[in-house]
Amino acid sequence: MSSRNRKIKHYFRKYWALFMGGAVFLVLTNIASLAIPKHLGSAVQKMRDAAADGELLNFDLSIIESHGKWIILLAIGAGLARIFSRVAIFYAGRFIEYDVRNELYEKLTRLSPGWFASMPTGDLTSRVTNDVNFVRTLFAITFLHVINTTIAYGLALEKMLALNVTLTIWSLLAFPVLLVFVRLIVQALFTQTKIVQAQLSTISSRVQENLAGKTVVKTYGIEKRESARFLELNEEYLKKNLKLATIRGGLSTNITLIPGAGALVVLLVGAEMVVQGTITLGEYVEFSGYVAALAFPTLAMGWVFSVWNRGNAALDRVLEVLEAPEEITERGDATELPDMDGPRGAIEFENVSFAYADGDDEAISNVSLSIPAGTTAAIVGRTGSGKSTLVRLLARFYDPTAGSITIDGQPLTTLKLRQTRSETGMVPQDPFLFSMTIGQNVRFGLDALEFDDTVDRPLPTKSLMGEGEVDVDTRREEALRIAGIYEDLQAFPRGLDTMVGERGITLSGGQKQRVTIARALLVDPRVLVLDDALSSVDTHTEKQILDHLDSIMEGRTTIIVTHRFNALSRVDKIFVLDEGRLVESGTHEELCQSGGVYSQLFEHQKLREELDNE
Amino acid sequence: MSENRKKQNAIGSGFKEQELGQISDAQIAKRLWSYMRPYGFWFAVSLLLLPLVTAAQLLQPHILQIAIDEYLVPKKLEGLSLIVALFGGSVVAHAALQFIQFYIMQWAGQRALRDLRQAVFDHVQTLSVSFFNKNPIGRLMARMTTDVESLQEALSSGMVTMVGDLFTLGAIVVILLVKDWQFALVTFTVVPPLLVATAICRHFLRAALREIRVKIARLYAHLQESITGMPVIQLFVRENISLAEYKDINLDYRHANFQSIRYDAILFAVVEAVGSIAVGVIVWYGSGKVLEGVVTLGVLIAFIEYMQKFFVPIRDLAQKYNLFQSAMASSERIFQLLDNQERVQRASEPVDMSHAPFEIEFRNVCFHYVEDEPVLKNVSFHIKPGERLALVGHTGSGKSTIINLLMRLYDPISGQILVNGVDIKLLDIQQYRRIFAVVLQDVFLFQGTIGDNITLGDASVSDSELEEATKIARANVLINRYGKGFEHPVSERGSNLSAGERQLISFSRALVHKPEILVLDEATANVDTETEALIQEAVEALMARQTSVVIAHRLSTIQNADRILVLHRGEVLEDGSHDELLANGGHYTRLYRLQYAA
Repeated sequence: MSSRNRKIKHYFRKYWALFMGGAVFLVLTNIASLAIPKHLGSAVQKMRDAAADGELLNFDLSIIESHGKWIILLAIGAGLARIFSRVAIFYAGRFIEYDVRNELYEKLTRLSPGWFASMPTGDLTSRVTNDVNFVRTLFAITFLHVINTTIAYGLALEKMLALNVTLTIWSLLAFPVLLVFVRLIVQALFTQTKIVQAQLSTISSRVQENLAGKTVVKTYGIEKRESARFLELNEEYLKKNLKLATIRGGLSTNITLIPGAGALVVLLVGAEMVVQGTITLGEYVEFSGYVAALAFPTLAMGWVFSVWNRGNAALDRVLEVLEAPEEITERGDATELPDMDGPRGAIEFENVSFAYADGDDEAISNVSLSIPAGTTAAIVGRTGSGKSTLVRLLARFYDPTAGSITIDGQPLTTLKLRQTRSETGMVPQDPFLFSMTIGQNVRFGLDALEFDDTVDRPLPTKSLMGEGEVDVDTRREEALRIAGIYEDLQAFPRGLDTMVGERGITLSGGQKQRVTIARALLVDPRVLVLDDALSSVDTHTEKQILDHLDSIMEGRTTIIVTHRFNALSRVDKIFVLDEGRLVESGTHEELCQSGGVYSQLFEHQKLREELDNE
Repeated sequence: MSENRKKQNAIGSGFKEQELGQISDAQIAKRLWSYMRPYGFWFAVSLLLLPLVTAAQLLQPHILQIAIDEYLVPKKLEGLSLIVALFGGSVVAHAALQFIQFYIMQWAGQRALRDLRQAVFDHVQTLSVSFFNKNPIGRLMARMTTDVESLQEALSSGMVTMVGDLFTLGAIVVILLVKDWQFALVTFTVVPPLLVATAICRHFLRAALREIRVKIARLYAHLQESITGMPVIQLFVRENISLAEYKDINLDYRHANFQSIRYDAILFAVVEAVGSIAVGVIVWYGSGKVLEGVVTLGVLIAFIEYMQKFFVPIRDLAQKYNLFQSAMASSERIFQLLDNQERVQRASEPVDMSHAPFEIEFRNVCFHYVEDEPVLKNVSFHIKPGERLALVGHTGSGKSTIINLLMRLYDPISGQILVNGVDIKLLDIQQYRRIFAVVLQDVFLFQGTIGDNITLGDASVSDSELEEATKIARANVLINRYGKGFEHPVSERGSNLSAGERQLISFSRALVHKPEILVLDEATANVDTETEALIQEAVEALMARQTSVVIAHRLSTIQNADRILVLHRGEVLEDGSHDELLANGGHYTRLYRLQYAA
């Protein structure tokens, strides 16, 4: 069985009670509503007979009136059953949607950056939003209509055949043709809707481009050209929309035609039968009632085919995400990082090589390096030399293709993934902040320690700047001071409660970087990694921050990835990467004397300064 | 953490909506009409077809009545085929007229929407930079896409047929009253309960739908941000917390949906049940009248048929009204944007531009972006024809602002900018801007080809001019490197080209437009040494050709300038050549040491 069918079965089974309940009520509602034509037909026939007998005044009206009462009762009963059937089935659909959304989110949290890189953001977004909706309709709409139509046809056909076989055959003749029509039109509707949506997104990106490039547009005065370019797309959009509208018009024409055609055929064939006495007038009216009752279920089937197809395609796309292989997993026997009294955070790379899935060359080739616990190391090199890759390997966003990485003697792959990450304070290159308050962003990493039982680490309470224990808020303030951002935040009217992205307040790149540094410090990391995280901070502030870090990271390891050389005389050891290889290592002085890549880079930087100095 | 606090602080909680209610519905309708007027004839035709659609539809029960009374009851076959043909004709006519009416409405409506979309786009082109600073791109995008789409939705779901629905309802009431007013009144007793039930369901349904909209927006905001920030979530092992937040919102969303399902199911069932109840009432009450001979059997059947057609429009009306309301809200947002006149003032009767050479003068110019935070204080200086002027100063000294004012992206708060003695406010803005070519630090490239990005669609640029410009701007080397030359595709924002390549292309762009005055904000981006050399050569070549105003970051650029304007905190401190200024030993000397010396 394909995984899709398994999934469909799983959900039907999980919510079987709702589906079954819905089906039972669908049966009830159809039994009640399909009993109505019989009463109507009988009433009409009795009126007809009474009129024909000429015994109008002696006739017992109450028999006919009771048909009227029955019709009202059946209508109410059918209505109530209808409510329960729809509620049960649509609830099931929403329950499934809820589950699928949660499953998807949970899956996303387990997928690694490599997977995200392989999936275009727009594509992923549409899978986790639109496709989930289609999956819901796959269950709810399809089930409701397939069951309803089957029951309605089953019940009505039996009654129709009992009345007159010929009339039944004639009256149902038109339906299959119309059904095929509806199906084709709905298919075209779905296709054209996609085309229109694609055009809309083309328009959107053109508008976005125009807005982003407004300075060029204005200074070169090319507003007219932009307008013409937009008009082109706009016209195209008009055409596509009009086609879509035509298809919709065709569909609603069919919706009009189906009941009309049914009534017409019954009139065409049945009227003659009444006149010839093959069937009574009452039976004619009753029969018309059944044909009318089948119009909507017939239409619905035409629609259901497309909903089913679209739902299946959507489910496949959702399953591609849900069943994506997890590249980074935790071993069953994974252990925690060892508790240590002395210096912590020794890092060892042993013959590590790594190539990205989409890259031809190795990003890291056979790198071996060792950073003793409690020291500060720097990784330098030109753009593209593999510095950031090295950091990503350390965070276990990727596993090396060869070689091994250890923290405090434990291979990364044998350690508990999340517990280890929580002890690695990463400050990524891109200072990404979430649209929550700044304060909440800073304590981002504490939430897991405080509220998530699966992360087995106590909430750190040791003061960062002074001695002893302090509460969370004080500690956060200390982290902000160390990162040199506290004063800046005080200037905002709402301070730490300022919403990131709030109107009128923008954090500069350097401010964001400092907030992310505070965020990393707060989790009390064993290893702190600054991945080019001070690039937008001026050299004076950089020095201050590094001074602070030296004191608070005592006994733990700090790794600085940087382009700037002015901060490097302070670090214990510098590793120089070039084209993915470790080419040199040593202290600033040693490397300057050795005359290798580092001294070249450093000389180059000095030369440029001197050249400018002339 | 309390529930409330958790929700408030969840990822993506910075999501907000905009205020409405400043333009009256009548005004909105009037303004929408101004976009419909060009297609007024077709709108009119479409509307005039509505009564015909209704007539074709409501003819059917009447034909049925005749068939029963004249043929089926007396068992007469002669002439029955004509009745059947009439019935068939009205079925087909109903469908066909309905299609034609709908199509014409779409034909005209879609065109009106195209015009509106274009009007919004064109209007935004005229707005000033200060407007864009206040309005995030996302919001403007929403105006031009989502909001127009909401009108589109209203149009294509047949909001206009609301008129047709009302017409049908009215017609049925009249027809039944004419056929037998007492019978009709009794039959209509089922309508008030239906209206009440519909109104109640609609009320709750609307609240539920509003809740759904809010929740889905929150859900998607959380999701979108989680996807973007997933590495950070994983680094700080916040997966479970974020999932819990997400589940909370998801649960709220599900509950809102449950509510809507309940009321929707009730509404659906009520409308259907009332249709059948009406049949019961007609049979119950009508049977007596039939037996008394007051109404015929055919009339009774016709009553049933008419009442079947009565309830669906009532249900749809409410739904269409909702669409109508959201379309009105969207229209209001669109018109608010169209009403925004935040643009650089245009000269009502522009003075003719004088001819080259141009001399520019800043006279006592003051400027601020935010009240009480002056950026330029009483700045005065000249740019003489052919001069190469360098602007230097610390970050925040006002260099970029001078360029913004020079390009008239903003107007001075006080003081004047003059070109050959004429205030630039008196000139046609586009004509004025055309004497410049601007190269900014952050080079913007459009999706298209390299050639398009250089000419910016100016068809009058010949191939040889293009070649020439790229040669001077040193871009020819890189362009020739690509197999397709000028046809080489540029992806969104030029992301397939390096920073250095983008700069060289923007130099070519500036040159090909043959400016009288070149405005250059030198980029400081890190580029490889080879490209750096090319850029340096290109800048020198560029500056040598015409009057230039340059925010200089390269030493060579400053040295090549005829004059240097030293800015400090919005004031011109010093003015002179490199050597003169160095000899002075003033601010420039210190700045020079700080920025260009170690």
